[in-house]
Amino acid sequence: MRMAGFAASMGIAALSLFAYAPAAAAADCKALVAPSPFGPNDQVGATNRVTSAVTKAAAAEIKTGVVTSMAYPLVDGIPLFGTRFTKTVLTSFATMPGAEFGSNKLSYMEDTYLSQSHVGTHIDGMGHIGIQDCYYNQTPMGKYITQNGLKKFGIEHIKTFATRGVIIDVVKVFQAAGKLKPNPACKRPCLDGGTIISEDDLKAGLKMYNVTLREADAVFINTGWGDLFEQFPAQNATYNRAEPGISAAAAKWLASQKVVVVGADTWAVEVIPGEEEGIAFPVHKTLITDNGIHIIENVQTQPIADVAAKSGRATFFLSMTVPKAVGLTGTFVNIEAIQ
Amino acid sequence: MQRRIFLAGLIAIGLGPARAEARRFRIALANLDERPGVTLEGLGFTGADVRHSFELAARTLPVDMVYFDNRGDPARAVANAAAAIAAKVDLLVEYNADREANAEIARRLAAAKIPALALVHPLPGAPLYGPDNRTAGEIAGRALGGFALETWSGQQVRGVLIGDLAAPGPAVRDRVQGIGEGVQPSLPGLKFASLDTGGQSVRADALLTNFLRTDPDQKLLIATLDDLAAVYAVRAIEMNRRQSDCVIVSQGLDSSIHGGVSEKKEIDPNNRSSVVLGSVAYYMDRYGHEVLPLALRLIGGETLPPRIATRHKLVTEANVFEEYPPIDMN
Repeated sequence: MRMAGFAASMGIAALSLFAYAPAAAAADCKALVAPSPFGPNDQVGATNRVTSAVTKAAAAEIKTGVVTSMAYPLVDGIPLFGTRFTKTVLTSFATMPGAEFGSNKLSYMEDTYLSQSHVGTHIDGMGHIGIQDCYYNQTPMGKYITQNGLKKFGIEHIKTFATRGVIIDVVKVFQAAGKLKPNPACKRPCLDGGTIISEDDLKAGLKMYNVTLREADAVFINTGWGDLFEQFPAQNATYNRAEPGISAAAAKWLASQKVVVVGADTWAVEVIPGEEEGIAFPVHKTLITDNGIHIIENVQTQPIADVAAKSGRATFFLSMTVPKAVGLTGTFVNIEAIQ
Repeated sequence: MQRRIFLAGLIAIGLGPARAEARRFRIALANLDERPGVTLEGLGFTGADVRHSFELAARTLPVDMVYFDNRGDPARAVANAAAAIAAKVDLLVEYNADREANAEIARRLAAAKIPALALVHPLPGAPLYGPDNRTAGEIAGRALGGFALETWSGQQVRGVLIGDLAAPGPAVRDRVQGIGEGVQPSLPGLKFASLDTGGQSVRADALLTNFLRTDPDQKLLIATLDDLAAVYAVRAIEMNRRQSDCVIVSQGLDSSIHGGVSEKKEIDPNNRSSVVLGSVAYYMDRYGHEVLPLALRLIGGETLPPRIATRHKLVTEANVFEEYPPIDMN
């Protein structure tokens, strides 16, 4: 009787375990990642916010037609993160006698681009950052990974970035507050590596140009650190060793403003070394994984910051398109600010 | 987590967020020695590592730091303490190894009613934060003994100790004693050969090469007393093709062994063939994060235990990224 009861209870226990296992796996991602603001099946992320009305309103930013580049040239020698690489190989048919086409001797050239996607001025997609196996929208990613790319959250799902851009010049904020320390590695004023950019700093930068963030804005932060990028390869090690960047709290504030993308002239947007020892890239997690907000790294922010200082306008129409590269976690992009 | 506990503590002692913002505290660090190339406490950490940890920790606390470099000089340490007192700092974190100088510094601080916190070496009347060298040694010894039982059971095993052994100070003596005690439960009576680097870790390569050639058959449990010695010992083992006969557990866990940005990482999940089983963490590059919250508690009137020890831990390829997340994501 006692044995039967024991066996029965064991059976129940075993059944309970099996029944509980899938639910437990799902519960882990729900505990680790916030639900998407765009519904449980969303793969798009924050570009859902860029509606026709948003684009039309952003177009009103174009007043003079002046275009300012915000991307760095993609060329050998620029600072690369970790073991990332980029290399172009030119295939030149023009120099091969007899390879020309037709009696008019038409020749052509092409390139092979050997590169990881997160190099130079580049965007991070929804498939880039997770906690353990849990990615954007509380998704256990294991079953969506193949050797040749993601089956979910690839950058082909991005809608559009035809929205308003805002430059926040934190260098000017720190100068105005008298807290910009000299950094001999930079040729022009820059925040030092490890400098925390707070929510208040961002608000001060916005106030400087009387800008109020609105939903679907693209926010770019000028820290001056890009000066080191521009000195490549001389300052690559310094550039990669640390960086000024936004705090975890500032990232949460930006997320609360419902922006679509946060970019900076740094390699990670967030402060490195981080605020809390042993916590890796909390801003990436907050923006991408929890809120579906893209990050753009290595943005050339100084020219548009200079334009803003001269014109008093820190807003612009953002011109940036992302290739429909299926299953990628990110890609290099070209960015232009049109005013 | 520790920060949350600390903030809760601040609120509990009446230094809630609003008041903490209103009042900032000036804390001085008188560092042991920041001269380039000088390493501290027989490990691979430098004075710059210690100072940098305070700079980073202070960013998120209501603290303005004032820095002094004692440069390993007792007279300078006393002069620096006098300067800190003249600057009317709220607290002095004193990192100085000289007992007599520390007695004088303690006397002057008491007269000025400025609280102090001692780093690594005692300062009379001040709480002491620092390593538990014997425990750290025991952790390494247990790891070596456990590895031998699991991997080389029944085979002839010998211990090798590599480090600055000619004139060991109390810290190194404690570590060596701990290593011996840690390995004994697994391998009672295990004998250690001592290879003295004389403080030049690079010599570990030649010393171990000679030793390996005279002892070609045995399995070797190698305890290195600093990480750079471990790195050079790895070179000797690989050059002599004795990877299957040797395992190393080191002391420190400085960046020479867990790697920095784009540097070679000896302890790394992608380097599973390494003969380095792990290194016992001393976290000297995180002292600021541990000590500044203690300093604020002391300023807030709390009585601290007289001795607060670093949380030592064996860090292997299985947990190194948890302890030191690589910022280059390799």
